[in-house]
Amino acid sequence: MIKKLTALLMALCLLMGVSSALAEKLTVTAWDANFNGNALKAAYEDYKANVDPDFELEINIVSASGDVEQAITTAGASYDYSNLSDIVLFQDHFIQSFVMDYPDVWMDLEDAGINWDDFGAEKLSYSTVDGVHYGVPVDNGTAIMAYRVDLLEQCGYTIADMTGITWDKFLEIGKEVYAKTGKALLSMDGNGNDLPYMMLQCEGKSQFKDGKPYITENEDLVKIITLICDMAKEHVLILANDWTGYTNETIMQDQVAGVFNGNWIIPTMSQVTDNAGKWEITSAPTLTGAEGYAANGGSSLYITANCKNPELAKKFLAYTFGGSTQTYDNALRTGGVIGCSISAAKSDVYTEGVPFFNGQAVYSKIVEMGASVPIVEQNDYHYTCRTAISNAIVNIINGADVMEALTNAENELKFAMGL
Amino acid sequence: MQKQKRLGLLAKQKAAGWGFLTPASLLIFVMSFYPMVQAFITSFKTGSAARLQWASPITYNYTRMFQDTVFKTAMGNTFLYLIIQVPIMLILAILLAQLLNNRDLKFRGLFRTMIFLPCATALVSYALIFKTLFAREGLINSMLMGLGIIKENVDWLGQSTTAKAVIIIALLWRWTGYNMVFFLAGLQNIEYSVYEASTIDGANGWQTFWSITVPLLRPVIVMTGIMSINGTLQLFDESVNLTAGGPSNSTITMSHYIYNNAFVGKANFGYTSALAFVVFILVAVLAVINLKVGDTRD
Repeated sequence: MIKKLTALLMALCLLMGVSSALAEKLTVTAWDANFNGNALKAAYEDYKANVDPDFELEINIVSASGDVEQAITTAGASYDYSNLSDIVLFQDHFIQSFVMDYPDVWMDLEDAGINWDDFGAEKLSYSTVDGVHYGVPVDNGTAIMAYRVDLLEQCGYTIADMTGITWDKFLEIGKEVYAKTGKALLSMDGNGNDLPYMMLQCEGKSQFKDGKPYITENEDLVKIITLICDMAKEHVLILANDWTGYTNETIMQDQVAGVFNGNWIIPTMSQVTDNAGKWEITSAPTLTGAEGYAANGGSSLYITANCKNPELAKKFLAYTFGGSTQTYDNALRTGGVIGCSISAAKSDVYTEGVPFFNGQAVYSKIVEMGASVPIVEQNDYHYTCRTAISNAIVNIINGADVMEALTNAENELKFAMGL
Repeated sequence: MQKQKRLGLLAKQKAAGWGFLTPASLLIFVMSFYPMVQAFITSFKTGSAARLQWASPITYNYTRMFQDTVFKTAMGNTFLYLIIQVPIMLILAILLAQLLNNRDLKFRGLFRTMIFLPCATALVSYALIFKTLFAREGLINSMLMGLGIIKENVDWLGQSTTAKAVIIIALLWRWTGYNMVFFLAGLQNIEYSVYEASTIDGANGWQTFWSITVPLLRPVIVMTGIMSINGTLQLFDESVNLTAGGPSNSTITMSHYIYNNAFVGKANFGYTSALAFVVFILVAVLAVINLKVGDTRD
């Protein structure tokens, strides 16, 4: 009898052990082992070491950010969330559309105890839908305008000369740089062109107004599109045919003297080790000549409806990416992930000079610039709009009339939106 | 008594037949027909994927298509590929088959394998290889530069006409060998004595080809025609991987556009299903026309 009882007890203990081990485990999906994968690893190690030694985190890495977004679309549309991990990481522009389309997939973070004031308002404006917080910011999407100072110098300019200039002046200098060095001052993926969005954000405006497309009547946008086309015609801007063309050819094959994009582009730039120490960053030009600040393509972590232990997930996120210096420092050190937490950016790792950028303390500068990014209207048709405008730009460069091409783009977008 | 036994055998054979047919039929029903019915129902709904509602009016998705400029472009592109690529490919395939059917040709097996080999490559990988070949700094450009034909690198995939041409070239490379195999099989069924008789009658190669080969190959031509039309209307991989539909939608195909509507950007499954049904109807109509044209019965 006693034997039986002990056996039963032991079995019970075992069961409880197993179930408690299961309960302390979370799964998360991200897409870049060297970048956000490392940031999650840093968070895991931080939480395991300082909060809960039994904690386990399974990090699934997929090959591209699009894979995460597609998995969510598929799960959301089929009402089958069983294949989603507890926490997912994806790009900020998607969450508005995801909450609208698949409201049941997400858990809000209102009771997670996160100090939201510690994040830039612009960053939070993506992951907040109708005043409810859904995501914990991971990487900072703040745009950097990086220049090759050695090439600028050949043309008689310094990084200070490039700060607070108008796009017209940028075009002038760009022509000179191309004539003297054969390099373009800017490049972008012409098929998914992020320049109009970022340049417009520098002006504090959006391609949407009150939920409707704001394109042909948006004078600043029309000016920006005209400028982009002029730059492309003058060899100041290379528009690659696709994303790999942009990263692998224009940047990694050393065809440009300037890069303007979200700071996650830094690892791509760093691939060209020959140019280490020759880059510096500053704010973007604007139409008026004020310093321009923009953001593009940062990502955040979201808890899905498939999460068996939302309490743990909330605790984990609140402790780590909610503002733990250890998580943020290691994410930056091992993954180059620049976070969004304002207080965490005060640590030494952030204020160190970076050799690739000529000793400039780019990380703290990026977080600082992030605080100045104006909030602009977001719309769940962001990517549809981007495609339409990208196509318009290609057509204008090939000879179409500016207003005609933009009217077509606006109609295309209105059609997709059902307006 | 004897009669009964024979019936029993027939029934047995019948049962065996049904036994063999059932698994495949069931699978086709579950995997193809059921989704088709579901898609048809979805095509009358609107709204975001998780909150689909009946459209009002019920044909909303179908009437909406007429205002869709991108779909019109996609349809134009697809039919352009169809009109240019399919005839060239089929003619090339017949000619190659005819050449390789020659009994006096040496290394026939080797040539046949070489021409068929492109079919063994996966659609995505061959599309990506063509993309690298025709890149701005790609092999084709360096070759043409080396030969002095062009003075500066051509942006093949960045201009609408050249991008379309690249897709057509890629399709020809990939599918000609595939169709050739069908023609080769068809040619093998033609008695050699027919050719010998025509030679005795004094027919030249050209006459033999048109008066004997083509009429006797007619069923194969109809079949490859239907398959090619069907395949081209559903063209997807090349548009997605080689050109990403660009520049400015000038190479996008109908299937690619359908995919974009469902999985890229904002999902609109109702409209997507309606578009898919239009393609389905187009394929059916073209196949019927093709069958009627190729029908030899009076």
